[in-house]
Amino acid sequence: MDAKELKKWEAELNICIRCAYCFEGCPVYKELGWESDGARGKIVLSYGLFSGELESSEYIADKIFECTYCRDCVERCSANVSVPDILTAARTDLVNDGYKNEAHLELLDKIKDTGNIFGKELKSPVRNGEVPVLLGCRLLERTEDTKRYLEILEKLGIKPKVVDETCCGMPFGVLGYKDDLATHKEEFRRRFPYKKFICMCTTCVFFIRKNYPDLEAIYVIEEVVKRLPEVEHKKLGTKVTYHDPCNVARGMDMVDEPRSILKEIGVELVELPTSGKQAECCGGGGGLLVTNNPLAEKLAEKRVNQALEIGVDTLVTLCPTCEFNIGNVASKNSGKLKVKNLLDLVWESLK
Amino acid sequence: MEIKKVLVEIVGEENVRDALAELYVYGSDASIHRELPNVVVRPRTVEQIQKIIEYANNEIIPVIARGAGSGMSGHSVPIDHGIVLDMKGMNRILEIKCEDMYCRVESGVVDDDLNRAIKPFGVFYPPSPASSRIATIGGEIANNASGIRSVKYGATRDYVLGMKVVLADGEIVNLGGKTRVEAAGYQIHRLMVGSEGTLGIIVEATMKFIPLPKLRCLGMATFEKLEDAGNAIANIIASGAEPSMLELMDNIAIEAVNTAMKLGLPDVEAIILFEADGKVKEAVDFEMQGMKEICEKHDGKVTAMSYDAKERTKIYAGRKKLFPALSRYKEGFACTSLADDMAVPYSKMAECAMKIHEIAEKNGIIMTAYGHCGSGVMHTKILMDTTKKEQWEAAKNAVEEVYDYVDSIGGITSGEHGIALSKAPAWKRARKDLVEAMRKIKHALDPNNILNPHKLMDAPDDWLTATPIRYRVKE
Ligand SMILES: Cc1cc2nc3c(=O)[nH]c(=O)nc-3n(C[C@H](O)[C@H](O)[C@H](O)COP(=O)(O)OP(=O)(O)OC[C@H]3O[C@@H](n4cnc5c(N)ncnc54)[C@H](O)[C@@H]3O)c2cc1C
Ligand code: SF4
Ligand code: SF4
Repeated sequence: MDAKELKKWEAELNICIRCAYCFEGCPVYKELGWESDGARGKIVLSYGLFSGELESSEYIADKIFECTYCRDCVERCSANVSVPDILTAARTDLVNDGYKNEAHLELLDKIKDTGNIFGKELKSPVRNGEVPVLLGCRLLERTEDTKRYLEILEKLGIKPKVVDETCCGMPFGVLGYKDDLATHKEEFRRRFPYKKFICMCTTCVFFIRKNYPDLEAIYVIEEVVKRLPEVEHKKLGTKVTYHDPCNVARGMDMVDEPRSILKEIGVELVELPTSGKQAECCGGGGGLLVTNNPLAEKLAEKRVNQALEIGVDTLVTLCPTCEFNIGNVASKNSGKLKVKNLLDLVWESLK
Repeated sequence: MEIKKVLVEIVGEENVRDALAELYVYGSDASIHRELPNVVVRPRTVEQIQKIIEYANNEIIPVIARGAGSGMSGHSVPIDHGIVLDMKGMNRILEIKCEDMYCRVESGVVDDDLNRAIKPFGVFYPPSPASSRIATIGGEIANNASGIRSVKYGATRDYVLGMKVVLADGEIVNLGGKTRVEAAGYQIHRLMVGSEGTLGIIVEATMKFIPLPKLRCLGMATFEKLEDAGNAIANIIASGAEPSMLELMDNIAIEAVNTAMKLGLPDVEAIILFEADGKVKEAVDFEMQGMKEICEKHDGKVTAMSYDAKERTKIYAGRKKLFPALSRYKEGFACTSLADDMAVPYSKMAECAMKIHEIAEKNGIIMTAYGHCGSGVMHTKILMDTTKKEQWEAAKNAVEEVYDYVDSIGGITSGEHGIALSKAPAWKRARKDLVEAMRKIKHALDPNNILNPHKLMDAPDDWLTATPIRYRVKE
């Protein structure tokens, strides 16, 4: 196999000292238990593909794609190795070598056909304000919630400008379709031609910051933290737990911001057994929801059980994908745990 | 495949893998070495291990026990192929007995998990290596692991009370016991400590623990001259002080932390971190004051000292970030573990650090000197371009020179990480008599040489060609 993309990561692959520190918190390894399921194992497999000692195979592809991009490994790494970036290179090489996954292709076709991950004709809630706002596929689909979230911005003194946007292209990148991503990026820029904007979705903002370096994507939470204290709002007096989305806590180093919002709106926070940069992943990232849905749900189930064990009935989070995955499992289970977006609480407080 | 079929019958399909990719992953560890096993098994019970070993012994198939695979010298690399036993699935804590101050665990229990489980009882298991977050108790015993606090608390050896072992013929034996003292026959459980998987498969271990200290105080001293820092360390130990940590960082370590991590450590030739712990503040103060004075006597400047947990974290930050920093010290260079943990007499600590720099410079590679000098361990890392053949030749020369020097001053090849493959040639040269005695013991306990064969005393004489190395080297 021509490991064209992995070759660019040779230095990084050599820098990995293979210490296995990245076993400690890797959610996939903790669930499945073979070394190839953990971050080091995946790096070793990537090395094998790069060096030619391994030929691509279904077995290897399963391992390389069974990763949530949670960055727990990066956080614990002895050498600051950017594991997800190496895995993206490996995924791209595997795809270029002919690897095909029906579920992946179906998802990408949906984006190509409709501009969103649901494959539905979704209408943007167009607004003609001043500050461009990117909603992202998941919020685009949640019309009612999104209306309220846009109202939050208005109450905070921001006049949102919403256009007929398209997907940021994350699934192309994460699933190894580099060329398709390049094409899609052009379409994204055409439909959403702004340099500086507010981004409502965690996944989009993190992806855009990495993949569109010329754009300035402000995460909605940064605005809420800044502006909420200046605006009249009430204390809610409720009790919740907060699940740190990987991209927020580890990816963008925002551990305190959501907590300060909860404090501001008078919500008591009961921490989960793992939180902040050590928070366990819900299983929803890195394409795992489509690659291995039962595994993604199993990881979410852990979070649901942890929340119930600490005695709360509401889990709030920020990432719409976490919300979807944990919420889906919570309702399938006992239905005892409500899953909400932190913005829902902000809206309550501003109402 | 025959081996696989037999193993599947013993442990079930879900616990056996022989896909090339899986073998490739289990073929390397945190060392430079790699070799493919024939099959990987994840046993769940002692009985399963017994059956596997009986079968392997009959068929003369190598068996390599593997914990986290964090050994730095090729400990769990299956140089003769065979069966890798991934012990991480056997991770139950079987007993915590506070009144008798011991615990009994399966050997796949991770060190930090054990410490988390016993902490609520106000006790801890102290010999933890830096890798304690992933290292297994079995791997630690087989390596006689020790760590940052071993200067006060000792190594794994000092905490093993007893163990259950599957011997090479499949027999299950209980060695040692649960009591603090024992004067009854050969203490074979102690022989297992440091055996690197060559004498038996440790399946269960009884380890003592001790009360957690109530107070901890950490200080930092900077030195314009590395030599002064080395002498200060030797003097602290000779003074009868009881540090719970005594660490050295040389100028390369400091520079690496500053360039890669922007931590702004003082730009000096050496830093010493010294810590004391205990029950009573006066006693801890006394230790800290004593160490401070010795540092100052050797022209050291004590720049920080604190009991506060947050402050201590700050003081320790540079040491903590040393590994990632070294990896990022020079573009195109990677950090390798070769000649990385020599045991050195205290009086030679400073000279050794300087000698290491001299050898590195001569050979055109970068070497740092740092480590648990209070326990007599001098750590190094070799930073080199691992893709270049000449760099490997240079590293090989440097390693030889370092070990010759260490031997000449009465030091020992490894004070912490063990021998396995990378360190075997130098160690065998230095310890011919010991090697012969060990071969006799090995032959008595494992006549068919199935347990982690060709390691330690039986390892090849050239570490660079002992196995393929894990880096792709351009001609
Ligand atoms: C970043 C880093 C830092 C480190 N720091 C330290 C340190 O401070 N101090 C230190 O001492 N070491 C250190 N090490 C080395 C290593 O982590 C330790 O020696 C550790 O004890 C190895 O445990 P493991 O579970 O990874 O064992 P492995 O590496 O899997 O195995 C080590 C040896 O033990 C044998 N073994 C494993 N389990 C069993 C068993 N159940 N029965 C019989 N034999 C068995 C194996 O066959 C092998 O020979 C470090 C390593 C890394 C990568
Ligand atoms: S990103 Fe998360 S799931 Fe993927 S290898 Fe790292 S720790 Fe494991
Ligand atoms: S923690 Fe980092 S350096 Fe260690 S094995 Fe994992 S990726 Fe490699």
